[in-house]
Amino acid sequence: MDTRRLAHHEFPILGRAYFLGGRASTSVKQVLREAGVDDAAIRRIAVACYEAEMNVVLHARSGYMAVDIYPDRVTIAVIDKGPGIENVDLAMTPGWSSATDEARALGFGAGMGLPNIREQADAMDIRTAKGDGVQLFLTFKREVTDDGAPPTGDSGTRG
Amino acid sequence: MTLAGAVEVLKAQAVVPADDEQAPLSGCFAADLMSDVLAFGREGSLLITGLATDQAIRTAAIKHLVAVVIIEGKPVHSDLVETACEENVPVYQTPLSKYEACGLLMQAGLRPYRKGTATD
Repeated sequence: MDTRRLAHHEFPILGRAYFLGGRASTSVKQVLREAGVDDAAIRRIAVACYEAEMNVVLHARSGYMAVDIYPDRVTIAVIDKGPGIENVDLAMTPGWSSATDEARALGFGAGMGLPNIREQADAMDIRTAKGDGVQLFLTFKREVTDDGAPPTGDSGTRG
Repeated sequence: MTLAGAVEVLKAQAVVPADDEQAPLSGCFAADLMSDVLAFGREGSLLITGLATDQAIRTAAIKHLVAVVIIEGKPVHSDLVETACEENVPVYQTPLSKYEACGLLMQAGLRPYRKGTATD
């Protein structure tokens, strides 16, 4: 595993600020593009980040999304101050949701958030306890060229 | 089918018009749940939805969809328009119901997407 960190960014997320939901993920997409991360990885990361961001917006008081870019991978941490998840196994079950009607009115809260995130990420670790917020850690592998170096600039790869 | 073709079939009006209405559509997906779109929507396709909120636009941008069509002539607020302009996501409005819109587009040959692979 390559330990050289190429970039680090953090983006705040405000709980209940529905109209801002998705802005942090849009910013993440932007910095990944600028860093030359391949399009296929960006697409997976954007979907996972958006789901995770909406989880914070819908359930927590506040939080942030941290992005670390390495030559061979991108790691995302989504940390929130909120009610936490009492039963993670249950929350990982497609269709299970604790979302409010408000969340559903925004097109979320169908119980697909965490399962969707797990589907997109190469590795996922969730640490939480009731009343203690949620710390979500995701790893996404980047496309690496034959010589072992990550592509520079926009690779133009379509996945 | 192009976006212009779909717009005609749906009798849709542009709210935020596309720069290029001749853009080809790879398929179509209809949903009000954005998690479903995030999970199963495909790049280059059209989204038919009853969700007239910013989240429909951000979802379309994240999935690189060609355009969003809001059904049943639901009112579109200025916030949505602003987000669509920011994210460069074309938005249209049709008086048709979701069922009618999907039926007409299927009849016109636009292929559907479902979980897994696209159907031919």
